[in-house]
Amino acid sequence: MRRETLKRHAPFVLSLIVGAAAWEIVGRHTSVAFMAPLSDTLARLWQLTRSGELPRQALSSAALFVTGLALAIVVGMPLGLLMARLKWLREALDVYVMVLYATPMVALIPFILSLMGFGFAPKVLVVFLFAVFPILYNTIEGARSIKPELIEVARSYRSREWALWREVMVPYTLPYTMTGIRQAIGRALVGMIAAEFFLSATGLGQLIMTATQSFDTAAVFAAILVIVAAGVGLMRLGRMLEARFAQWRT
Amino acid sequence: MTVTTITAVAPRRFQMTGPTVPRLVAGLVILALWEGVVRGFAPDFVATPTGIVLAFPRVIVSAPFLAALAQTLGAVAEGLAIAIVFGTTIGLAMGRSVLADRVLHHYVNAFYAMPMLVVLPLFSLWFGYTGAARLATVVFSAIFSIVVSVGDGAHSVPHDYLEVAHSFRAGRICTLFEIVLPASLPYFLAGLRIAAGRALIGAVVAEFFTAIGGLGYFILFNSRTFHDNTAFVAVVFLAAFGIGFDLLTSWATRRFLPWYRRDEAAE
Repeated sequence: MRRETLKRHAPFVLSLIVGAAAWEIVGRHTSVAFMAPLSDTLARLWQLTRSGELPRQALSSAALFVTGLALAIVVGMPLGLLMARLKWLREALDVYVMVLYATPMVALIPFILSLMGFGFAPKVLVVFLFAVFPILYNTIEGARSIKPELIEVARSYRSREWALWREVMVPYTLPYTMTGIRQAIGRALVGMIAAEFFLSATGLGQLIMTATQSFDTAAVFAAILVIVAAGVGLMRLGRMLEARFAQWRT
Repeated sequence: MTVTTITAVAPRRFQMTGPTVPRLVAGLVILALWEGVVRGFAPDFVATPTGIVLAFPRVIVSAPFLAALAQTLGAVAEGLAIAIVFGTTIGLAMGRSVLADRVLHHYVNAFYAMPMLVVLPLFSLWFGYTGAARLATVVFSAIFSIVVSVGDGAHSVPHDYLEVAHSFRAGRICTLFEIVLPASLPYFLAGLRIAAGRALIGAVVAEFFTAIGGLGYFILFNSRTFHDNTAFVAVVFLAAFGIGFDLLTSWATRRFLPWYRRDEAAE
């Protein structure tokens, strides 16, 4: 049993050690302005956390991320259900949803900048635009695949429209929406960084930018580590949500 | 233990066939709203549908636009080619070798989950404000979705096939090229679809960031000098590429891999 666990985990642990060692060695043998070794990065990470700068910036980024994503869910899900329920609305709009889903939203950032300026609202709009279309798209897909029999049965029991939504449409569609939300989480993170880089610099984006300009590569790597950790954590969370709601999806 | 993040999809899209009248009406309503709102409430320079349409013929023959288009598309194509070669190799290794999977899994997952934008400042530091920084960004944006999807594909090759190959004494190389690679193709295409979208975004953000010539810089420059209509033509092109590639991959899956069924692969 112990041999087995050793065999399972040894390659992973070894690869981590090799990766860390490679980072350290490369970092020590190149200019500080290009690359910071792992030890310096971790030291800087600790220092930035102690000084309160990193937590403050991370919190600012998180506020942007959560606001944008929440808006995307609140708008995307009901709109998706509505489009699924009303055939004419779906037929009229589905092509445009698809077009916007495939459009690289970053390209719109300069226009948002010239229209709305530098405040919090334009940045939220960017995160929202990145996140809303996967939710909308998957919700429509889900609601479209509701078996007509389910709605017919509900109808023949004289279900009201409201009850039909609550008892049939929403529960049936939720797993699909969760898939959309999982995709939206990843895209919202990209949107968050894009907004912080290209609109007004705040949060972790600002931390990276100012650190780059002062050739403080250790701080750049420290911020990237935090973002990677957040990305991996959020992706896990997304998959957990999806699995949790996928139970009755066949 | 697989890296199942890209669902095994032959890209499924809304049917493009269907009633055209409601779509046209909706499109006209949307455009009219846009035009009206901008004319009513926004400053003069803001892009309007009529403005974009009027700018269109002038912009698409202008030399700066064509140069920008060629630069961006060239970088995306080059980057995608590099990402495909290395991504497929790493993906196949991870899908077929447990050891490779255990060694690389966490790195690939971490890189895949990370918004590629954050490496832009570093890349511009390492490669300078040059095309190389853009190429690196494109490769970095695109490669991990290919690794993940090819890995998934190679991992989920039906066991029966491998057993048949084995009983006919097929060698490892032969099995790889004749069975694993073709069986992974639908996954590869699904990954490529995502990779192409990400590569396009990568090129545009790299151009925003480093101000090297290309569609991203074209948009940035023109919108900063209040030529929003001109800039928007480039956005239309970018959107068209995104959609075009989506349609192309889904068509290719249906045309060349008709044996692939989404529901079968879903276990």
